[in-house]
Amino acid sequence: MTLVRLHACAIAAALAAVALAPRAANALPAFGRKTGLSCSACHEVWPRLNDFGQLYRDNGYRLKRDRDAPVDQDPSYWPIAVRTTPGYQWLRNTLVPTDTGKVTTQTGSFGFTGLDIFAAGTLGEKLSFLITYTPALKQAGFGLSPSDGNLESVWIGFNDIFNSSWLNVRVGKHGLDLPVDEHRTLTLTQGYGIYHFHPQGSSVTWEPGNNQVGVELYGHSALSRARYSVSFVNENQAPFSNNVFSSPAVWGRLSGTQYLETDFIAAVRGGVFGSVGFHPTSSRFYTAQPGAPVPVVGTDRALKPYQRYGAEAHVQFFSLVTPLTLSGVVWQGTEDRALIASGVRDARFQGGFVELTWTPDIRFSVVGRYERIVNRQAGSDQARSNVGDTTIATGAIRHTFELTSRTEAALHLEFSRFASTAPDGVPDKLAALVAFDIAL
Amino acid sequence: MHPLRLAPAAVLLALANPAPGEQPAAAKTAQAEGSNSSKICFADSVLCAKTPARALDAARVRRGRAVYGRYCVSCHGEVGDGRGYSAPFLDPQPRDFTRGIFKCRSTPSGSLPTDADLLRTLRGGLYHSNMPPWEVLGDRQLRDVAEYLKTFSPRWVEEGPGEPIEVPREPADDAGSRRRGEKVWKEQGCFNCHGNTGKGDGPAVSSLFDDWGRRSVPFDFTVNSHRKCGTTSRELYVTFMTGLNGTPMPSNAETITPEDAWHLVHYLQTLQRR
Repeated sequence: MTLVRLHACAIAAALAAVALAPRAANALPAFGRKTGLSCSACHEVWPRLNDFGQLYRDNGYRLKRDRDAPVDQDPSYWPIAVRTTPGYQWLRNTLVPTDTGKVTTQTGSFGFTGLDIFAAGTLGEKLSFLITYTPALKQAGFGLSPSDGNLESVWIGFNDIFNSSWLNVRVGKHGLDLPVDEHRTLTLTQGYGIYHFHPQGSSVTWEPGNNQVGVELYGHSALSRARYSVSFVNENQAPFSNNVFSSPAVWGRLSGTQYLETDFIAAVRGGVFGSVGFHPTSSRFYTAQPGAPVPVVGTDRALKPYQRYGAEAHVQFFSLVTPLTLSGVVWQGTEDRALIASGVRDARFQGGFVELTWTPDIRFSVVGRYERIVNRQAGSDQARSNVGDTTIATGAIRHTFELTSRTEAALHLEFSRFASTAPDGVPDKLAALVAFDIAL
Repeated sequence: MHPLRLAPAAVLLALANPAPGEQPAAAKTAQAEGSNSSKICFADSVLCAKTPARALDAARVRRGRAVYGRYCVSCHGEVGDGRGYSAPFLDPQPRDFTRGIFKCRSTPSGSLPTDADLLRTLRGGLYHSNMPPWEVLGDRQLRDVAEYLKTFSPRWVEEGPGEPIEVPREPADDAGSRRRGEKVWKEQGCFNCHGNTGKGDGPAVSSLFDDWGRRSVPFDFTVNSHRKCGTTSRELYVTFMTGLNGTPMPSNAETITPEDAWHLVHYLQTLQRR
């Protein structure tokens, strides 16, 4: 049987399984168990939040009807949920270097995308928390290498300080308030490249797409139509510099939503965001005898800046319940020349994405995204200026065939292409995924 | 005729020929949006004569069904009978819309609520229950789902909503008013259910059941100032004078004067302060 036929059989089998699945129609199931609400109440399509879900999150996981505190819950209630995605993934990479020249590689395997264990909810009347643990895995999902365990999120939230929804604080490792939340993306083989992009030769490890350790101050109007967020965090994995704050970065976002409630345009949302961070560029070293010099923690100096900033627009067409959502994000970044290997000038890049999501039914969703990132000015003369230019195209179909307040199971079909300019060509990666995304 | 105006008649038709396990009245309403149903209604003046005070808006019903399916169905159930898959785990139980009985109204006991009443409950939710405030959904979605709720019960076809009761001007909230209110509390026997201190532990508690035969727990006024159908003085007055339909909480409209109802409001508000 050819590989093509195998793929066809796998997809057909998955589709058949869905067709035969029971038609009970549901995000963090722990919240569903607590509130009785279906996942669809908070999620336009799981895991993406709708406005009700955003308000619930902004309020510190509270509905604010005297039923939120742990002491108001049944003693048997535990705020824990699990998510994983078993299935089949096919990958093809071009221009992969080998001893005998560049080749195209291809793999196809059954596996899973990982495992997330969540605990989230309230600790008290105005205290919230989130813990996301991804355990170490001997066989790392679709890959061959073991993975490390990780605390992806761990924060405590103080809500409605001075009884104002405009004053809330999260302390700990938290997700930044991004134009489109990558941790709630509807695509599994590709995230948002712009959230992780660095110019060629950059030493900066700041990636807004990753959760960051620090403090977030955020606030919102009564219905979360107007929101702000400012996070003061460490740059992930940066050297500890000789400062009170070793590798500081600040991220801020301001956004607003207007309901138009017409038959054509249901709502529009706009926002601006930006960050500035500082990364050390020099260290003192210690050389043990015999041994190589190693940088001494706490001696790094000469912090140099890097910035990210941009704007976003989102339009929900036709309905707020079953919307066609068009999102556009433009993004620009600069990094100081001292942060680029052999840098002679500041590095600049621009990028953005357009995403179209259609949810004609609470159980079915189609998403397509095109993303483009280009270097506007290389920091170094030693590489071509377009090295690292990236194009990503992703399409996915998602059918949720089990949807209750306790569990959620969805068939996820996805295809993506990632191409990034290298010094000697434009290698691309194709990925296809047929998987069942389950949460309980 | 706009197909919308025919929806209620189709509900009546559906009710006239019930079949076991068949679709809910809502589904019938949706079918009635087609042209076939409209011909039936035109030919049968008796059915058409039973037009409610305001015919349902089919476009709102159609959109409201989608809103209901996303947000409400897990508790209130596919057919609006309050038996959604989460219902067994909720206390109090979700409202059964099929009987057209509503707790929070500005209309006399036994009558249907106004659209404004329904929207108030939808926007604000209900304290001490799992009904969240849905104001974030926006006016249009809330009006749509309020319209859809009316397809679950034939009452909305047979009668219009009641007229909101008149609320006289509130007298001064002073010691005299509260003393009088306490007297009314005793005369009306409120303590039988709500207890002498308002904790909801009166001697009649064990004999209280709602219209669905489920045990009913009187409200504990001492916990905080949040009340089920509203917290303002005016809302408490309305609750006294209209009752909470479907529960043992009666309307006092026939037994106390409007002035005494205000005194009772003032006394009740002291119970929380104790």
